Amino acid sequence: MLLLLTRPRYDTPTHYLFYWTGLLIDEAKKNSVKVIDLDKSKAKKKKLHSYLEKQPIDMVILNGHGNQKAVAGEDNEIILSTGNGTKLLKNKIIFVRACNAGTILGKEIIQQGARGFIGYVQPFIFPSDKDSFSKPLEDELAAPVLECSNQVGTSLIKGKSAIEAHEDSLGKYTKAINKYSSSEAKNSFLLPILFWDMTSQICYQP
Amino acid sequence: MEEKNKAQATSDSEDIINLVIARLKTIPSNVELSVGNEGSFSVDELIESVRKQDDIGKKMIEMQLAYLRSLGKLPTQELQNAPVTN
Repeated sequence: MLLLLTRPRYDTPTHYLFYWTGLLIDEAKKNSVKVIDLDKSKAKKKKLHSYLEKQPIDMVILNGHGNQKAVAGEDNEIILSTGNGTKLLKNKIIFVRACNAGTILGKEIIQQGARGFIGYVQPFIFPSDKDSFSKPLEDELAAPVLECSNQVGTSLIKGKSAIEAHEDSLGKYTKAINKYSSSEAKNSFLLPILFWDMTSQICYQP
Repeated sequence: MEEKNKAQATSDSEDIINLVIARLKTIPSNVELSVGNEGSFSVDELIESVRKQDDIGKKMIEMQLAYLRSLGKLPTQELQNAPVTN
């Protein structure tokens, strides 16, 4: 199995996603999944499209900023958009961890023959602790959201379908919401954020 | 009658803003929120956005109301039906 992922890093959200996606690379290696890691300056349209054209990639995970019709890579360069690159995703499963791309881009990706799409129909929102910027993986405020979101990638790496990976992730959100709903829980301010991201996450599978 | 309805709508809108601000004030000051393409915001910046009802403020209102609706905890029918759009 071959996984391609993009993980730009040029502002706070992409800085966090860069490190949390690193955990998915570790998970892939543990599961004997080969990885093409388009990190930082490699997260560019030309490179992405070239790999998609030439390599037998099974899964694609794109991290970055997005909108209803496009996803960006390093320095906000659009690397995939409606009518530009979606055909290259035929027969692949795609997870786009970017805002709003589930609304229009995700549907086109499926129409172009992808095996599955997981994304968000609203902005992807997560909290962080200002004091943890240099250690994003140790940020206890970001972790609850990013663990739930990462579950999509973890399940895909383990060979699950798009729908199964999506459901695994929703299950993790539900557990987190139950945990922070307890009367003894600290940081209950996380609840609306967890609920928001959980209900914004969508899956399309033909 | 129309004037009365307008006054009621304004009052409901103010109630929502105050409710959301009160909830945002429970977030510790060391927290930042990354809101998609818009950037990262401190709690004070979020509260100011809610007061101004700019795009970020509207998104915060939408997020908090969505959660409260899921609990069935909004206090009145009027608040539940209050329009909050992008």
